[in-house]
Amino acid sequence: MTVRNRWGLLAAMAVTLAGAMPAAAQSDPGVTPTTIKIGVFGPLSGPNMAYGFDVIKAAQMWYDKTNQEGGVNGRKIELVIEDDRCTPDGVIAAVKKLVEQDQVFMLNGGSCSAAVLPAKEYVVRNQIPWLTLNASADGALYPPTGYIFGSTSISMHAAGGSVIDFSAKNFGAKKIAFINHDDAYGSWNHEAAAYVADDEKVELTAQSIQPSVTDVTAPLLKVLAGKPDALVIMTYARPAALIVKRAYELGFDKPIILTQTGSANLDQLVENVGTKDAFKNFYVQDVMADVIGGPKIKWVYDMYKTYYPDLAAQPDHPGAYMPYGVVTAQAVVNALKLAGPDLTREKARLAMSTLKFDTGILGGPIEFRPNDPAGNRRTTYEKFDGTNHTMLPGAYESTWVYKAP
Amino acid sequence: MDFDTALIFLEQGVASGIVTGSVYALLAISIVAIFRTTAVANFAVGEIFMAGAYCALYLLVFVKVSPWIAIPATVVVVFGGSALFQAGVLRAVRRSGGPINLVIATLGLSYLLKGVVRQTGFGETPRSFPSLVPNHSLTIGSAFLTWLDLAILTAAMLIMVGFFLMFNYTRLGRAMRALGMNQRAAQLVGVDIGRMNTLIWGLSGALSAAAALLIAPKLLLTADMGTVGTMGFAAAIIGGFSSFPGAVIGGFVIGIAENLVGLFIAAHAIAVTPFVMIILVLVLRPQGIFGGAQEIKKV
Repeated sequence: MTVRNRWGLLAAMAVTLAGAMPAAAQSDPGVTPTTIKIGVFGPLSGPNMAYGFDVIKAAQMWYDKTNQEGGVNGRKIELVIEDDRCTPDGVIAAVKKLVEQDQVFMLNGGSCSAAVLPAKEYVVRNQIPWLTLNASADGALYPPTGYIFGSTSISMHAAGGSVIDFSAKNFGAKKIAFINHDDAYGSWNHEAAAYVADDEKVELTAQSIQPSVTDVTAPLLKVLAGKPDALVIMTYARPAALIVKRAYELGFDKPIILTQTGSANLDQLVENVGTKDAFKNFYVQDVMADVIGGPKIKWVYDMYKTYYPDLAAQPDHPGAYMPYGVVTAQAVVNALKLAGPDLTREKARLAMSTLKFDTGILGGPIEFRPNDPAGNRRTTYEKFDGTNHTMLPGAYESTWVYKAP
Repeated sequence: MDFDTALIFLEQGVASGIVTGSVYALLAISIVAIFRTTAVANFAVGEIFMAGAYCALYLLVFVKVSPWIAIPATVVVVFGGSALFQAGVLRAVRRSGGPINLVIATLGLSYLLKGVVRQTGFGETPRSFPSLVPNHSLTIGSAFLTWLDLAILTAAMLIMVGFFLMFNYTRLGRAMRALGMNQRAAQLVGVDIGRMNTLIWGLSGALSAAAALLIAPKLLLTADMGTVGTMGFAAAIIGGFSSFPGAVIGGFVIGIAENLVGLFIAAHAIAVTPFVMIILVLVLRPQGIFGGAQEIKKV
């Protein structure tokens, strides 16, 4: 080889190595020097679109705001959005497309707990950080995997545990009647309710009913036979209305607390019960810092109106779950900021696992822990008399902790 | 559980069970009426019941017509819809296929009705229409009942008595019985089979609509409320799939058993009670409590 050829070969090698270096520094898909690609999915159509449509809209507007303020460590957030129709097949298809075709950096999706669970194994196997949208997702969160985070609205465990805390502390209840469902959600919320009841030395009498129950007289009589100090209803909307109505007919006048599971449409609940007299001692579980339209969270609704004036003018918009979209997007943005400019999936998931911040929307902070990937453990409560909502002070916490069997 | 509590539970279980059982009985009669005369198991009975409830909801709550118009209108609409289904769909299916195709057609109807209700958007949120009876209550012994409960029971009993009288003492009832015994012989004596089948389906639909009008204020309306049709089938199987009195007794048995199991065992056992009873009946007396002796038919 001549001297000229040797220098030429060395120069070619140097150029090749220089070209390869940025690729080595950014080996995780979905991240470039200027962008981070996030895969968002939820029900945008179908019978369950109310659970996800406005939540995704809210997340979009927070991501857009973040970009307008300069992005995350100099990178703009780029969203790829898929419709999962709130079905397991839809979630798996959306996740696979986002990961394999769109090559997203991380996932921020899922509004329906039962639907997200089947994607758990795929996500963990491919080591992709995933923060669910507004699904409780207890089945996907526990046991903790290190990659899946969620319940930025509230988990079933947290909802069940914190309502016992509220009943015991707010009413001084020593005996609590608890009616839930005999499905997976029911087992999760009852597990935590029993834990907190034991912790706070409260006697818990529970009855689990089918969601399709036709007559609630039997389970209600059974729990009321113990003369409880409070009745907690942890069912879906239809059975909840039947229970409230029957409890009123039976003359039960102690506090009744309806949890998040059945409180999506309180006006319809009043209509279904048939009388506002049934709501004289009635409380509703929430996670927000204020009632809808209240001063503390008005900014979220104003922001939605600014971003989506046409949607905001339509009935049923924004949907009840809209603010959760902002919370989940805040969590993603904050975790990415914490992970730093030298961004990898590993750093992002580690940052998420210890993230804690106040949302300005929820009654308590979002706080992920290494042994607990559920972000929100606190609930708030409002008194509802059939017409007026009055926020009660304070937030109540579930002390339930996951323990490996 | 002490004796006093057990007695209260027993009285309440029986009282509440009789009320819900009366509605199951209406649905069971609706199923038996079709099966006994046309040998078709109508798997759309629950969704026809659901469609009747939503028809009433639409008229009472959205169009705001008087209950005196809405109630008969609902019964007429469901009667007409059921009759049309038989005349337009089942007749064609019967010509081209065997009995299993007829059953599949009823399954198709059930999915169609549920899909239509979901498409309207009304089916996603539980809804109610106003009770026609004041919201008062009374105590019979230790059992607590509302005026609505008594109205449901009374109306259901009147409908059952009316159906029984029609079936046993009218020309129409005679024709229905003849059809159930032997279709060819009935045809030979002048019974118009096609017209009778259509009429029977219409009557069955009307019974389902009546059941819906009675119990919808108590159950609340959702697109999935048709699952109560399963109770009608359970009642029909227990009582005897070819016996009207059996269907009535079966309805009350299911209603009472559900409530007693819920009170004395566990609430989550309520759902399995009808199916456990079905299994017991099928094992011990397959023709049902009031079904006739088993017979072998040449096909």
